Amino acid sequence: MGKSGGATHFHSSSSSSSSMDRYSSSSNDPASTICRRSSSDLSTDLKLGLNSISPNSQDLHHHHHHHSFSYNSSTSISREEHLQRPLNWPPIKSILRSTIVDEMQNKLHPQSERNRPSSFFVKVYMEGIVIGRKLNLLAYHSYDGLITVLCQMFKTTILCPNKIDEGVLHYGKYHLLTYEDQEGDWMMVGDVPWELFVTSVKRLKITRAERCQL
Amino acid sequence: MQRMTYSFPEEVLEHVFSFIQSDNDRNSISLVCKSWYEIERWCRRRIFIGNCYAVCPTMVIKRFPEVRTIELKGKPHFADFNLVPEGWGGYVHPWIIAMASSYPWLEEIRLKRMVITDDSLELIAKSFKNFQVLVLSACEGFSTDGLAAIAANCRNLRELDLRESEVDDLNGHWLSHFPDTYTSLVSLNISCLGSEVSFSALERLVGRCPNLRTLCLNRAIPLDRLANLVCRVPQLVELGTGAYSSDMRPDVFSNLAGAVTGCKQLRSLSGFWDVNPAYLPAVYPNCTRLTSLNLGYATIQSPDLTKLVSQCQNLQRLWVLDYIEDSGLEALAASCKDLQELRVFPSDPYGVEPNVSLTEQGLVSVSEGCPKLQSVLYFCRQMSNAALITIARNRPNMTRFRLCIIEPRTPDYLTLQPLDTGFGAIVEHCKDLQRLSLSGLLTDRVFEYIGTYAKKLEMLSVAFAGDSDLGLHHILSGCENLRKLEIRDCPFGDKALLANAAKLETMRSLWMSSCLVSYGACKLLGQKMPRLNVEVIDERGAPDSRPENCPVEKLYIYRTIAGPRLDMPGFVWTMYEDSALRLS
Repeated sequence: MGKSGGATHFHSSSSSSSSMDRYSSSSNDPASTICRRSSSDLSTDLKLGLNSISPNSQDLHHHHHHHSFSYNSSTSISREEHLQRPLNWPPIKSILRSTIVDEMQNKLHPQSERNRPSSFFVKVYMEGIVIGRKLNLLAYHSYDGLITVLCQMFKTTILCPNKIDEGVLHYGKYHLLTYEDQEGDWMMVGDVPWELFVTSVKRLKITRAERCQL
Repeated sequence: MQRMTYSFPEEVLEHVFSFIQSDNDRNSISLVCKSWYEIERWCRRRIFIGNCYAVCPTMVIKRFPEVRTIELKGKPHFADFNLVPEGWGGYVHPWIIAMASSYPWLEEIRLKRMVITDDSLELIAKSFKNFQVLVLSACEGFSTDGLAAIAANCRNLRELDLRESEVDDLNGHWLSHFPDTYTSLVSLNISCLGSEVSFSALERLVGRCPNLRTLCLNRAIPLDRLANLVCRVPQLVELGTGAYSSDMRPDVFSNLAGAVTGCKQLRSLSGFWDVNPAYLPAVYPNCTRLTSLNLGYATIQSPDLTKLVSQCQNLQRLWVLDYIEDSGLEALAASCKDLQELRVFPSDPYGVEPNVSLTEQGLVSVSEGCPKLQSVLYFCRQMSNAALITIARNRPNMTRFRLCIIEPRTPDYLTLQPLDTGFGAIVEHCKDLQRLSLSGLLTDRVFEYIGTYAKKLEMLSVAFAGDSDLGLHHILSGCENLRKLEIRDCPFGDKALLANAAKLETMRSLWMSSCLVSYGACKLLGQKMPRLNVEVIDERGAPDSRPENCPVEKLYIYRTIAGPRLDMPGFVWTMYEDSALRLS
């Protein structure tokens, strides 16, 4: 899982850090803006699209406009007005910011499940390999997608239980996907509907096919 | 000549001192005479260090060898709003290492805005056999692995509170590390965690801890699981829900209502993420008992908020989003006569136009209707001097007043004048005001009022205000009890700062960002005042690569007896005597 507790950092990409630039000669320096931003800020800005708009990002512009128009569509608010909001103002904590952002995103892009988290990372181990991987299950919507990615990740063929070809004699050298459920039992992946699987899985293991009686 | 010995035996004095808990009083006791100093230092059990860089661990341990409780604060307050760059400092590890060997009986650690690593947590878990309380408020740098170490090893842990911390949330398994024999939990706050904790482990944990009073869950815990948890803890005093939404199912509702109503001692509710208003009635039976209600994440509309709040006649503290609107605040004023603290947060902080009907009127209503109101944090989009004067006259008992008008430099919307007289009335009438945050259009005049009247003021926050150095001078020369001053985006420069340099040693700290203090003045201050750390924080590169009269980006000045700190990142420079040599 990624960082929690509202780790998003709002850093405006506007070129003036404050409206004080008529006093200080050097804060107009574009390099100063670049120094201030870390790469995580950049991706956060693009994802959230809420703060002042960077000249490059058309999406941000749309988000911000959409957001303000949803409240007062009769006012035409220029891009320049948005850009003048000072950095890190008003003073609200990141937890509140991210809660509000979530809420706004829900309004702009309503999801069927409001309280669905955006990521759910599970550990994936392959039998015989000590170091595991992590996978965000919410990035996939079906078993097909998940297995395709795992095949690529672990460079093997993973068989799906309902697609085992009766004619294949030596499937022992292939792998099967199993998972540990909430009760601690190891089960074959694929028996229950995908949505139910996602709620009950704790972690995944790719085991040799010959280990599983089919 | 024979000298009469009037002193009591040490044990008696120690016993007397044990009734003195206040730090100020204990400090006074230490000053009476050498023997009192000695006795006091050996029996001081609780230490509060408001700035972890003001003193170093060895000094503290040397003077107070028998400490059981320590509280430390690290980063400046403006770090909450991302004004302090990542990596600035506030590392607690040196403290943990020092205390691990010197305070084997340490029981409580409370940290605020500090960086604590998994290594630190592991060291805590292994070093302090009677460790009981860990509070990490707005901290960062650790993961759930560190929490697992605490859970596994601290047999006597009573309190684990992670409020608002940034945790590297690897998974929810850490909670399962509490052994089955562990039953001493009194308070658990995991509201900041992102992932689901092992639900069965949590159920078993709360079920076997008979003294559990506070349980603040995280957003990932769904509503339909809440009832199962709560019905195991009918003795709960404080509950923080997880996500408060679900499709409307009668069985979930009735289970929840039953469980919550069963908590006869419940006084405080929080959480309420993603609220489905249909579930709010589940808490109605408890409303009259509630003294504290945090709806700061509840994005629901005024009618639902009003209905809930109006039933809480004994409410003392309310945190809510501005969805409550003026009408809801009027209802609050009519129903909640015991209200002491109100915080209203903005639901649309970055929008230009108001999205809700919340104005200064809401605050005025509450100031009229709630005679005990003393602490206010209010975000709004318009204010008038008349409203502020009314509020000041209504509530001379105000001790904390923080107003944030969302658009900087907004004048009185009725007269288009600065809000100087309004805030002036606040400081004039509210003689016990300890904390004040200003906003709106303000000239040097408001600082004159503050310097004249705000004699009890301890903390002041200023943004986008003032015309000249005179403003800063008024504050520094007038506010006798000022401890913390934080300023951003104000035209305050060298003159006032240098003229009032001595004042800075009587304060905990001063923060100035996007102001006009020059690098040269910082150097001078650092050289003149050896007992201050004058930190220049500048991400544009070394300050001496620019002219001396160039303003620094950010400035953090604090008194210290530990000298310049040694853990500064590349964008922080401490100004001191031979700084001219060091910086080249």
